[in-house]
Amino acid sequence: MNRILLSIFRKEITHILRDPQSLVMVLLMPLLMLFLYGYAITLDMKGIDTAIIDESRTPESRALAQRLSTTDFFRIRARNLALDGIEDLFKSRTARCVLVIPSDYAIRLIARGGAEVELIIDASDPNAAEFVDNYFGQVVAAQSASLAGGGRLLFAVSPRVFYNPDMRSADFFVPGLIAVILILISTLLTSIAIVREKESGTMEQILVSPIRPGQMILGKVLPYTAIGFAAGVLILSVGSLWFRVPIKGSLLLVLAMMLIYTVSGISLGILVSTIARTQAVAMLAAVTLTILPIIMMSGFIFPVSSMPKVFQWVSAAIPATYFLQIIRGIVLKGSTVLDLYRPAGILVGMDILLIAASVRSFRARLE
Amino acid sequence: MRRILFVVQKEFRQIRRTRAYFALIFVAPFVQLLVMGSALTTEVKNVPVTIVDDDHSPMSREIVRAASATASFDFLGTAASEAQATAMLDSGRARMVLAIPPHFERDLKDLRTPEVQVLVDGVDGNSAGVSLGYATAMLAQVQGRWAQSMAPPSPERGAGAITMVPRMWYNANLDSKLNFVPGLVGILLVIVTTFLTAINIVREKEIGTLEQIMVTPLKGLQLIIGKIIPFTILGFAQLTIGLLAAGLVFGIWMKGSLLLLYFLTLVFCFSTLGLGIFVSTLARTQQQAMFIAWFFMIFAMLLSGFFVPIENMPAGVRYLTYLNPLRYFILILREVFLKGTDFRFLWKEAAAMGAIGLVALVSATMRFQKRLK
Repeated sequence: MNRILLSIFRKEITHILRDPQSLVMVLLMPLLMLFLYGYAITLDMKGIDTAIIDESRTPESRALAQRLSTTDFFRIRARNLALDGIEDLFKSRTARCVLVIPSDYAIRLIARGGAEVELIIDASDPNAAEFVDNYFGQVVAAQSASLAGGGRLLFAVSPRVFYNPDMRSADFFVPGLIAVILILISTLLTSIAIVREKESGTMEQILVSPIRPGQMILGKVLPYTAIGFAAGVLILSVGSLWFRVPIKGSLLLVLAMMLIYTVSGISLGILVSTIARTQAVAMLAAVTLTILPIIMMSGFIFPVSSMPKVFQWVSAAIPATYFLQIIRGIVLKGSTVLDLYRPAGILVGMDILLIAASVRSFRARLE
Repeated sequence: MRRILFVVQKEFRQIRRTRAYFALIFVAPFVQLLVMGSALTTEVKNVPVTIVDDDHSPMSREIVRAASATASFDFLGTAASEAQATAMLDSGRARMVLAIPPHFERDLKDLRTPEVQVLVDGVDGNSAGVSLGYATAMLAQVQGRWAQSMAPPSPERGAGAITMVPRMWYNANLDSKLNFVPGLVGILLVIVTTFLTAINIVREKEIGTLEQIMVTPLKGLQLIIGKIIPFTILGFAQLTIGLLAAGLVFGIWMKGSLLLLYFLTLVFCFSTLGLGIFVSTLARTQQQAMFIAWFFMIFAMLLSGFFVPIENMPAGVRYLTYLNPLRYFILILREVFLKGTDFRFLWKEAAAMGAIGLVALVSATMRFQKRLK
């Protein structure tokens, strides 16, 4: 039994080593993604191009413009253009927002105890527009407070950011990438390895030999589990050594959870292999079953709680959703098994379901 | 010329025979736009929030009421103690906690400026920042109300509050669909042009028909042109379907000129098809072609400004994005779609895409011919 398993394992390793390009790519791709996500994605905005139309031309309006230009967030690019020039300003992307101070600003502010200013925002990027809106609100509030004579604050608000105090994107993405890469590699490579044998007809040959299907599957799956696992460890080490993502919880627990999660990917791969007849189909199926839902719906980038209800249900059916909670919990929050029994339990349940389904469909296909 | 036509004819015959292409071109845009357009949202909604009220005064209760009435919060009720609230943060049940200290109301009335703490789960930095913004805005409103009622503004003090009126152009409701859907159309187009071209040529290599074509009088350049034409047409078909899908599924119809968009798409297709042919010269098997194409595409997608605005990237990475044709195309799509921007403001992007396309096509053709010898 063990000898047969070992020889299949060795055969698979030979396959892998014969195509070193693919192997290098499999290990390089996660690193590339890690560096892109780690560096390219910072979500703090700065230097928003701004124009000011000051129709008031009073010391009061200049004071507001002055306060705006002293922040890092706004960069004044144009002043005192005509109101109908705004459209062109947005279309040529010279400015993202335009502050319009009306001509009665100073009079209203002094005599009537309150004035309005208008901020016209190019909202074609709604996320940025939201940031601009919030930030400008703070500038206006600060200006109001200083006009009212300062010290009028009734209570203060002090934010404390937990787990990722600098709100660094690397801390968010490194654990998430492990979730993406592990399942991609395990599903993709497993399904390709099995379908390749089908395509070239060697599967039939193996099946007429005394090797049992279970042994064959196990022998084929083990090397890819190892590769997937190695890629995961690679990301984890580069993440913690280069990007300084702290691993607050137990490393052993992380590795154990990675293993449980990889099993779900591999079962998915076997399932795909029973359906697909060619490598191209297997690849497409593996990619659409893993990458897309994980990137879009597991909370890898986009918060699940903001999605429509239907997609939240879909998200609840994806193993990666739970693995993401687990690994971010352990790495960033230092969670223990006690905190994570729920997602971990669900993940194990999904594993069992997927294994059962893949074994069944594999048997059915053989008969 | 006639030879090129034959190649085009052959390609179309092959495309017609492959059912998967039809699904990819006619069905996929609808499904993908529907799913991704609805699921991809950078808006932060339903933030699970709990409050620790150690004061139990009318004022602290007013804060609790204000929080429960905030639409972007999923208010979980008050927590008994700060320990319980942090446990909720730890388990992920809550993502934000407002902590009102004891004697809040007394301190406030004595002008001792008590402190409301906002504890936020910072794992997702973006959501955390936005959630903090919601909480600050909500508290500022409460504060403003109290300030008004405690000390009504007197004319002799000579100053009042400034109110800001935001006006959101092009996207009044800040709907992130309007941002993602045009971008998605661009991404779908890359998949068809780069991916299918690379796989198509490598497949001919793998099954040996490329050799057969090579011994015919057909020249390398003619073959490449013959391959480009059908995939450009496919790309245009997909673009049109994508535009229709955006309109039919989400009601997002294009504001700008269709002709301009088609012209710019043609320029864009040259760069992605060039890339596809280039990939095909690097790969020996379909599997490798797939990997290399993915490699390029992930790169192109991440650095296109589709997920993350380019201005938010560090300078080094920002320069890298100038090499990415998708960066220009997604910008063009968004501009033409949402703002109706005309060529006057887009010619720089068009020129950049054209240059990239020229380099990609020429180097791909050169590599292609060299490889044949």
